[in-house]
Amino acid sequence: MSKRRMFLKMITASLLRRKSRMLTALLSVAVGATILAGLVTVYVDVPRQMAASFRSYGANMLLMPGENTVLNQQSVDAALSLISEEKLQGASPYRYVYTEFMGNQTGEGKYSSQLRFMTAGTSFENVQKTSPYFAVEGRYPEAQREALVGKNAASTIGAKLGGSVRIAYDRTELVEIEETQTELQGSAPGYYDAEVSVTVILNSDGTIKTVAMDLSRQTPFRVAGMTTSSFTDTYGIAHAESFTDQFTGKQLPLTLSTSENDPDEYIDAVSGATASSKAVVDAVNAALPVGTQTDTQQITNTERAAMSFTVSGILETGGEEEDYIYISLRDMEAITNEKDRFDVVELSVAGSSEELNALANEISENTGLECRLVKRVTKSEASVLGKLQALVFLVTLVVLVLTMISVSTTMTAVVSERRKEIGLRKALGASDNSIRAEFLGEGLFLGLLGGAIGALLGYVFALVVSRQVFGSDLQFNFALVPATIIVSMLVSALSCLIPVKRAVAIDPALVLKGE
Amino acid sequence: MSLLEIKHVSKIYGELKALDDVSLTVEKGEWIAIMGPSGSGKSTMMNIIGCMDKPTSGQVLLDGMDISRESGKKLTEIRRDKIGLIFQQFHMVSYLTAVENVMVSQYYHSMPDESEALEALDRVGLKQRARHLPSQLSGGEQQRVCVARALINHPELILADEPTGNLDEANENIVLDLFRQLHREGTTLIVVTHDPEVGEAAQRMIVLEHGRVAKEVVNESFQA
Ligand SMILES: Nc1ncnc2c1ncn2[C@@H]1O[C@H](COP(=O)(O)OP(=O)(O)OP(=O)(O)O)[C@@H](O)[C@H]1O
Ligand SMILES: [Mg+2]
Repeated sequence: MSKRRMFLKMITASLLRRKSRMLTALLSVAVGATILAGLVTVYVDVPRQMAASFRSYGANMLLMPGENTVLNQQSVDAALSLISEEKLQGASPYRYVYTEFMGNQTGEGKYSSQLRFMTAGTSFENVQKTSPYFAVEGRYPEAQREALVGKNAASTIGAKLGGSVRIAYDRTELVEIEETQTELQGSAPGYYDAEVSVTVILNSDGTIKTVAMDLSRQTPFRVAGMTTSSFTDTYGIAHAESFTDQFTGKQLPLTLSTSENDPDEYIDAVSGATASSKAVVDAVNAALPVGTQTDTQQITNTERAAMSFTVSGILETGGEEEDYIYISLRDMEAITNEKDRFDVVELSVAGSSEELNALANEISENTGLECRLVKRVTKSEASVLGKLQALVFLVTLVVLVLTMISVSTTMTAVVSERRKEIGLRKALGASDNSIRAEFLGEGLFLGLLGGAIGALLGYVFALVVSRQVFGSDLQFNFALVPATIIVSMLVSALSCLIPVKRAVAIDPALVLKGE
Repeated sequence: MSLLEIKHVSKIYGELKALDDVSLTVEKGEWIAIMGPSGSGKSTMMNIIGCMDKPTSGQVLLDGMDISRESGKKLTEIRRDKIGLIFQQFHMVSYLTAVENVMVSQYYHSMPDESEALEALDRVGLKQRARHLPSQLSGGEQQRVCVARALINHPELILADEPTGNLDEANENIVLDLFRQLHREGTTLIVVTHDPEVGEAAQRMIVLEHGRVAKEVVNESFQA
């Protein structure tokens, strides 16, 4: 038998045949190695885990309409094509509109309550990716006409899971109306026969749109007791405007009011300028067409659309989402009668803040959309990540030291327990180096076994931590097995230095003393 | 040249003179018994001869080497090469089997050789028990393993400190027979004992008292 085999035989026998001792020592190494391997696994995995966790706190990139670009399927697709597939974790389009919640109908067009709510149309499948923190009681809408109601909104309107809510949306439509207007011109003698001329614009339905007067040839009105200016002077303008305003909307011919009992549609004269006023009315009545002009007008048409939804889920987020009602994009299109239009697309993209910044710029430049980072989250992500890693690193260090102390204590106990045996070995001719080699050998063997056990248990430990803290699984890191074993062996060997020193100092003569 | 020459050796612990100007010469192949009351300095002397301790004064020559002057490392070497030790407590490595315990001695000396170790065990009548742990052996059997271990490297000198102190009559006789065999083979034996029967088995008996050689008796009826 070779010396090396005998050496291995002795150290393995020492560990394997003295089971209880060995188990104590092995336990301290294995526990240390377990925590070590576990923490290192977590440490290595933390960035991934944290990134995943932070992504779960909402999207980190927003797409919004640009100055000249609308946010629709086409522009969104263009933006998404710039993001590499493995980095894009999710994209959720949102269309936000104000709607009114209709309570119970109490009569023709009358409801018990009418409250304004923000309603969002979105794709629930994608929302679950970009906002995994959404806590839904019940379930996400699946079928048509199902709604996810924010918790606050639900309590305000008294919506119950499985109940129904009726919401109304005012579809507004801008209508352009082309109108052909007729221009008339006429004149009539006024004060002191000085001529008054007018230009009248008639709407297509014959009503007056505007009347413009030329009173330049009228001398100032004379009014008993006071000298007022003409229609055109500082005081008269007010009179003139309120005077001509009366014409708008009236039909020809016009009549000048002469008494208080006259009907409303009569034209009231400017007091103190009755002659001129009369001349204007006469001129309007006498005006003849001189031409036509077309004018386009925009009119807002409002049409109310109402729909009932089944409440499939109540949404709890702790944020403003709890005030909203969420419906599918299809239902949103149906209620608004607008297709392919989003207000914002929330993106969840993996990457460092620099990468994301560059990406956002690229998207903004190439698509004309506005692409913004949700900065608060990405920044804190980096800083929290750093702090957490530092913490894990510190704890790892502390565990390492504790393991060393523990192994050292155990080995010291082993040495004092085996004083006689060491004395005997020395009496049999063991040199100091043989004693060192044997104890270090035992330490290394312990480190090997404990490290192997720790590497496996450490993975389990890390898995538990990962599941508990981050709620996700973990990949087994094979490189960590030899690493853990080597570190354990090193730590064990280091821990053995002091006990070994003690062992070497043992006096062989003690074996002859009949202790 | 004598194998061992002890010249005016004293060992002083504070006030106490454990050995007080002891001189003794042992020839190659001699069988010496050292006797004396408890505390008379027998073990102290054995430690010095066995290269595990150094005298306070005086000189010890083992095979011509002055072991009272050597460094610890050199002493370990000399002990390993020249001396076989047997103790009262039949010390064995508790987690190694009988044959492995014998091989430990070979391991520190030169090369572990299992067949040689088994032969040595055969010689002490324990071939059948070679694979047993010390806890599975009786006291007498353990002491015989220790004898086998002491003789495995063919030392010139075997030092035994109360080798039969804890043994019954039958086992004592087995061990004495082994000593006789070793003596016939030319091994020098120094045996510390309280037991007159063991003392009388030796060629010469040295009696220590208060660290001094009180008496030296040559065994006239000694038969090899
Ligand atoms: N390391 C030591 N320090 C102090 N005194 C010691 C030491 N070793 C031995 N002694 C003392 O020296 C004396 C001789 O001791 P030693 O062990 O040689 O006696 P012994 O003859 O072997 O006795 P026993 O028959 O009981 O084994 C004793 O009084 C003992 O107390
Ligand atoms: Mg003694």
